[in-house]
Amino acid sequence: MNALATGAADAIKIRSLVKRFGAFTAVKDVNISVPAGSFLVLVGPSGCGKSTLLRMLAGLESPSEGEIAFVGQTVSSGAGGVIADAGKRNAGLVFQSYALWPHMTVAGNIAWPLKVARWPRDKREQRVREVLSLLGIDTLAERYPAEISGGQQQRVAIARTIAPQPSILLFDEPLSNLDAKLRIEMRSELMRIHRATGATSVYVTHDQVEAMTMATHVAVLNNGRVEQFGKPIDLLRNPQTTFVATFLGTPPANLIPVRRAGDGLVFNDMMLAPAALAAGRDEAQLLYRAEDVSVGAVAGAPSLMARFAEAAPIAGRTMVTAMVGDLRVTAMADNYFTATPGEAIPLSFIRTPDAVFAATGERIQQ
Amino acid sequence: MTSLSISAPSGSRLLRSGFLLPAILVAIVAILVVAPLLRILFTTLTPEGIAAWKAVLASPLSANLWWRPLLNTMILGFSVGGGCLLIGGFLAWLVVLTDVPGRRFLGLMASLPYMIPSFAAALAWGTLFRNSRLGGSAGFFETSGLAIPDWLAWGLIPTAIVLIAHYYSLAYTIIAAALSSVGADLVEAGQMAGAKRPRIFFGIILPVVTPALIAAASLTFAGAVANFAAPALLGLPVRMQTLSTRLFGMIETGQNERGFVLALLLIAVSALFLWLSDRIVSGRKAFITVTGKGGRTKRFPLGAWRWPLFAVAVVIGFLTTVLPVLVLAASSLAPQSGALFSNWTLHFWIGEGGGEMAQGQAGIFRNPVLIDAIWNTIRLGLVVAFTTMLLGLGLAYTIVQRRGSLLATLLSQLAFLPLLVPSIAFAAAYIALFGAPIGPLPSLYGTFALLVIAASAHNLPFAVQSGRSVLGQISADIEESARLTGAGLTRRLFAIIFPLAIRGLFAGAILVFVKMVRDLSLVVLLFTATSPVLSMVAYRYAAEGFMQFANAITLVILVVCLAASFVAHSLQNRVQKWKAQ
Repeated sequence: MNALATGAADAIKIRSLVKRFGAFTAVKDVNISVPAGSFLVLVGPSGCGKSTLLRMLAGLESPSEGEIAFVGQTVSSGAGGVIADAGKRNAGLVFQSYALWPHMTVAGNIAWPLKVARWPRDKREQRVREVLSLLGIDTLAERYPAEISGGQQQRVAIARTIAPQPSILLFDEPLSNLDAKLRIEMRSELMRIHRATGATSVYVTHDQVEAMTMATHVAVLNNGRVEQFGKPIDLLRNPQTTFVATFLGTPPANLIPVRRAGDGLVFNDMMLAPAALAAGRDEAQLLYRAEDVSVGAVAGAPSLMARFAEAAPIAGRTMVTAMVGDLRVTAMADNYFTATPGEAIPLSFIRTPDAVFAATGERIQQ
Repeated sequence: MTSLSISAPSGSRLLRSGFLLPAILVAIVAILVVAPLLRILFTTLTPEGIAAWKAVLASPLSANLWWRPLLNTMILGFSVGGGCLLIGGFLAWLVVLTDVPGRRFLGLMASLPYMIPSFAAALAWGTLFRNSRLGGSAGFFETSGLAIPDWLAWGLIPTAIVLIAHYYSLAYTIIAAALSSVGADLVEAGQMAGAKRPRIFFGIILPVVTPALIAAASLTFAGAVANFAAPALLGLPVRMQTLSTRLFGMIETGQNERGFVLALLLIAVSALFLWLSDRIVSGRKAFITVTGKGGRTKRFPLGAWRWPLFAVAVVIGFLTTVLPVLVLAASSLAPQSGALFSNWTLHFWIGEGGGEMAQGQAGIFRNPVLIDAIWNTIRLGLVVAFTTMLLGLGLAYTIVQRRGSLLATLLSQLAFLPLLVPSIAFAAAYIALFGAPIGPLPSLYGTFALLVIAASAHNLPFAVQSGRSVLGQISADIEESARLTGAGLTRRLFAIIFPLAIRGLFAGAILVFVKMVRDLSLVVLLFTATSPVLSMVAYRYAAEGFMQFANAITLVILVVCLAASFVAHSLQNRVQKWKAQ
């Protein structure tokens, strides 16, 4: 195989990647690079192309255009198709369905890829014991997949993937089939394994909480395009599109549509911010975090009346959702707060907007 | 229990029906399944019976009565099981796991032969390959100047080929279902591990579908062992006997006890192999239930082999479905059975009797016996389909409702017993039980009622299975949500359960109907002149050498079967409008 030099040896470098299925374009012009040891999370709603992107990284699909390089070696490209086979990329994939081979025991499942890779018997057995204990499933070695629980199957799937010590680990929504409590447990477990193996990881999920907690790098995908790529905290602080702004963060941030009236930006006849923020546009959207909106009138802050919808207590405060016309606004109240659905409550915008977006969705730089 | 019945408003009625239905079902199953088998066993324990055991197993006759037929039966069973596994497995692999062109078409072709009665293929074989060794008119090939050796015209080899041509589609159906349950993820996980295609095939796919392969092999084995038509038509003329033809011969010549002994031995052979295969498949390794998500299957590219393999599959389908039908059609029009394509006439269909042809016999549609047989056959099919589905639904309901109880276990075990009993042996058991008057009841032998009872009993395993799958489609939630509105059992039955179940019931009933219309081995012993059925009339004509009549009637059977399938298909889409196509 001819090594095509791609300059600096990023562990994973994706360049101008496009994937078409017939007339449908699943992945559009994706460019991402991450250094070795990163934990890259591809996050987005279902159908955004994140799984297709992962399958191209795994070598199970060939790209239509562009190229993928692992540590400077081109493994797939639009021109050459799949240059290095799935098995030759030194990459492991954890499937959403776990894909455990039902006719092999847990130990057999873990040992089979090592057998295929021609590991000598004693090394193989030692490695199987090692990963079994790394995942805390030593006692399950002789069971069949059908005889263990979903959470245990998940651990076996991970053990099987890391056993051959791949330098790149790929995860396809691995936690989506687990219940909420187990999911949080496995999240920390996965991060521990990531630290233990040091393998560059790519993790696909639609759960933004998973993305924010696990990632060193996040790519938010929507309609096959990368909306924004960067460190999780940067994406949260400086969202470049309304999609990223509303997709990331708990509780979800508010986008208030405003229009220019005189020297102010106005929502429902109430001025929220100076017109300068919109940089000359007539219409804009203001981003307010839930903690920037408070329940009750606050002196000096613009406030409006809303119809109470629901309340959820969070860490000693209460997240309140209320409707202003058709617009859903999330606010925070101190202590525990509740009201009758439909009841009128005042909401105050106690800080300046966190970001300003054009009506078309892109950020207006200040 | 008591507190419950007090609180329920219609408690007493519930309580009564709660016991009544299971009691009736147990009684019916006992009479249908257990009584005949016990009766046939006890009949062979009488002094005459013991003598028959000795004659069959340990006498100078036993080589002819038992050992040679057993050997032939085993050879047939193993070669058919193996052949079906190869052909059915090959086609299933091609259709499910590769990018062969025309996959739907190939799948349809592969599932058709099972719809065609096995004696159709046997008759078509005879029409083509029959040689003049036994007198009578020669087949197409010999008439055209091609000498056909005896081994290709008669005996084990043609019988095995004809049975494989019939049963491979059963193997195909089972293996294809198993292969499509192997999720793409399992295969891709193997690819990620770096395994090459052969390694993935032998290391992952093959082991995962092994239970299905064993099931397919054992079911086709059992089918071949129990088959009567093919060995009777292709083997009997050269005195090749299998257990089923021996058993038929014994009972037909009035040696009932010996026939019963052979029936018991045939049951033992068939049951032993089915039981063995079940032992291998069950247990910890019964992993067939673990499947991938979404049913996505991985299709391997065939490359340059796409069209050649497509051609092979089409040829297999053509030889086993289209060709036999064409041969039968041509033969039913040809005055000389060897010259298939000359002097075609409709005489065998509608000709008047008294002429030179066919020794003066009239065409089949002018033959009152045949017209009778057509109605009898359709009536038999309809009645048995109805009784079978009714029984199946009742049994399945009771078994599901009382899951885990002794009663449910007993019922399901008993209902599956006929699966182990070859149909001709089952018929023998019915002769043992109903051949003579029981108390005030007259002898049922030769009546339509006996045919219905025996056929319903024989179809019980299928009935319970399809009843369960029908009920499985109706979740407990649906029924319970109807119950919460206050609807009573009858109301729920007609407003909720019946509309949801009708499609499954209908599909099951059509299958039973088709099975009955093309069945020969069950009716061959129970049939008499007063209750003729088509398959039997065809067999009689063939045995007497009137091949054209036999072939014409077989075509009628085929048309009835196909028409039933077509009606079922078009009705199903109308019955449940809310289902997307």
